Amino acid sequence: MKWIERRVTPADSPLAITAAMVAAVLVAMVVTSLLFLLYGANPFQAYLALFHEPFATMRGFGYTLVRTAPLTLIALGTIVSWRSGFGYLGFEGCFVIGSAATTWLALLTAPGGALGPLPLLAFLPLAILLSFATGAVWAGVVALIRASFGGNEVLISLMMNYVAILIVQYLVSGPMRAPGEVPQTALLPRATWLPFILHGTRAHAGILLALLATLLVWMLLRKTPLGYELIVSGLSPAAARYAGIHVGLRLVIAAFLAGGLGALAGTVEVLGQQHRLMDGISGGVGFTGIIVALLAKLNPLAVIPAAALYGGMTVGANAMQRRAGIPSSITFILQSLIVLMVLASDLFRRYRVNLK
Amino acid sequence: MPTFAMKKIVKRFPGILANADVDFTIEPGEIHALLGENGAGKSTLMQILYGFYSMDSGSILIDGQPVHIASPKDAIALGIGMVHQEFMLVRRFSVVENTVLGLKEASGPMLDLRRAAQRLRALSDQHHFAIDPWAQVQHLPIGVQQRVEILKLLYRDAQLLILDEPTAVLTTHEKDQLFTVLRSLRDQGRSIVIVTHKLQEILELADRVTVMRDGRVVFAVSTRQTSEQELARLMVGRDVSLRAHRVPLERGPAVLRIEGLHVRDDLGQEKVRGVSLDVHAGEIVGIAGVDGNGQSQLAEAIMHLRAVDQGTVLIKDRVKDRIKDRDITRLTVAQHRALGLSYVPADRRHVGSITQMSVSDNAILGTQRQRTRGPFLDRPKIREYAEKLIARFAVRSAGIGAMAGKLSGGNLQKLILGREILQDAAAIVVEQPTRGLDVGAVESVWLELLQERERGKAILLISAELEELMNLADRIAVMFEGRIVGILNAANVTVEKLGLMISGIPPANAAPLATQGEES
Repeated sequence: MKWIERRVTPADSPLAITAAMVAAVLVAMVVTSLLFLLYGANPFQAYLALFHEPFATMRGFGYTLVRTAPLTLIALGTIVSWRSGFGYLGFEGCFVIGSAATTWLALLTAPGGALGPLPLLAFLPLAILLSFATGAVWAGVVALIRASFGGNEVLISLMMNYVAILIVQYLVSGPMRAPGEVPQTALLPRATWLPFILHGTRAHAGILLALLATLLVWMLLRKTPLGYELIVSGLSPAAARYAGIHVGLRLVIAAFLAGGLGALAGTVEVLGQQHRLMDGISGGVGFTGIIVALLAKLNPLAVIPAAALYGGMTVGANAMQRRAGIPSSITFILQSLIVLMVLASDLFRRYRVNLK
Repeated sequence: MPTFAMKKIVKRFPGILANADVDFTIEPGEIHALLGENGAGKSTLMQILYGFYSMDSGSILIDGQPVHIASPKDAIALGIGMVHQEFMLVRRFSVVENTVLGLKEASGPMLDLRRAAQRLRALSDQHHFAIDPWAQVQHLPIGVQQRVEILKLLYRDAQLLILDEPTAVLTTHEKDQLFTVLRSLRDQGRSIVIVTHKLQEILELADRVTVMRDGRVVFAVSTRQTSEQELARLMVGRDVSLRAHRVPLERGPAVLRIEGLHVRDDLGQEKVRGVSLDVHAGEIVGIAGVDGNGQSQLAEAIMHLRAVDQGTVLIKDRVKDRIKDRDITRLTVAQHRALGLSYVPADRRHVGSITQMSVSDNAILGTQRQRTRGPFLDRPKIREYAEKLIARFAVRSAGIGAMAGKLSGGNLQKLILGREILQDAAAIVVEQPTRGLDVGAVESVWLELLQERERGKAILLISAELEELMNLADRIAVMFEGRIVGILNAANVTVEKLGLMISGIPPANAAPLATQGEES
């Protein structure tokens, strides 16, 4: 009699998956409690401090939404590309390229710019279109290389992140630099800023764009023939070809969408939060967005809660440091542990325990 | 020589009672066949004996003494060995390296391969295996690799050899050699269990047979006292027809024409070397051959899933009431499907279906663009269609929302076959349609194919099972090393003659290509 036995197939009922996820988060929190104890803090108070600010105060919640919007868009891009079998990791690049394109267009509408002042309703669609197209081409190139020459998209997309970051560094220290000490562009005209949506907070309309994108991505993957073909291509390229699906073309489409969504994250950050372009604008969101997608198990509808949890914890980390005197970096340990545990929880669904 | 006995074995998986009070005894010096459909519990039983699974209750006795088998290591130490359906050999290692893998017999820190090789050679000579211990496994034919697996067990001095579906990958000739080997091992007093669902082989080889159904032993008898018909009935639980009834039909015009096709495999080797073939309406043309003689590449090339070097594929197409041959050689797969060609691939789980998707998602594979309302997939219609498909083709599943990967091989094949048949294509290419299926499923796949033939479809049936071809095909083309070496009329073909031809030996009295003259 073996106590723990391997299952023939993993338990995959929704209940089993949810239970495994909840258990994973709890385990991560328990492990992190030990760290809190090391600092002589009461774990319950520490967690209260961590979650109170981002989710129970207006100001903090506003910041949570500011963090959630770009994370959501990047995570959606990850979902579209990965579920289509395109292991894209270049969202950091898409983000900064999208920010740069948006900034360029916004500065054109500044007084004395080539376009002249535009109302937000005219400017925003233009900015979204331009940014999306820029990101789409940026990622599409990688898909073309993979589809036509069999290049490795993981390596190429990672390397292209550096190219994009260096291009933006060049732009903000050269052609687009505003007079002053810091390498950054001028402040964007107020008319191009995304409206704030919660009075007295920094929350801006970017979160609405992220919600809309979530809905669209969910509809695409779940409801349309194209989404079906993307998923089939991702799960089994051989079966897709057999069914008459042009897999290479689907890769390129997936890359277009993913790159476009990644670039939109940059647009939202520039127009909603930073209001100018500077070096290091992404703060690594191009990678944390991928982590959010993993946390959401590549399910578009689960992205919003996952991004809010992740973004909120980042906001709460500072509050925790102020109130409980615990280093905010412990939050990053907690975030990483949650992701690790959620990924590892799949393993447990492959075994059963014999209690007899 | 010991007697192995399993008593009152119970094994429960969630929702399934895989073994219910199973008694199973293997005497010394007998070949014992364990027969049952997929899911009958025979594999589970053998996995328990070999230490892969633990049992919930019951006992294993060797010569009446209870033993505890917690892992394959224990099983091997007790003289139990298993040859899996997929061989467990390191392809780039030599035979001797594969044999000593996992053994701890060296007296020092160094491997003594030379001494092991000597012992292997002696064993090989003793059993007439003709195996060179220093040969690399990857260069050996499948049949010889199987003998290497058996030799490995003999090297460990196994008293009980369990063989899981040993003939699935063998040619007729290799099968005969295997049977000779197994008989001689039996005559030395060793015990052999073959797990199978091939009835004929059981009657030919085994001394006793145990039939399992739904986790229980339903029958255990000496093979001399039973018949193929009886075994089939016991295994499936109802009467089964093992002979397909093919009604005579006037065949129609050639629907699918293949002319001088040359195709390479992924490594760039030419696998199809100038194949020409016509398939007429209301006709099943069989392609016989041992796996790896270019049949798969031929099927893929017909669908243009694989590049064609030379040659053409033509299909009868109706354009404004004018019927003409249309060259589809280099059209896309989607166009092939649209022009009336469907395909049942050999690899059900990786090509023919997507195991991580639901039954209904699999039902629309290839026709997803036609199943829309507005820009969206028409889910209610798709559900209706999938329900119709699984009802019409008797696909047993936990519903259309169930993962296709959870279906048994037979039910998955019925789903794929049903999907391709419902596309109502003029021609169907079917590759190894019953490989690994149990008798009940084979019967229903055969009936469906014959029914399509009667409905005037042109069917190209690629199969390594000679019985299947003789039962279904009107004409049988024999493929050897990429060429069609003869097209025979199924009416005057014997298994022996086909068996020789697929091994590349032209039968003395066969007139190659003689029957091709009967083109209408």
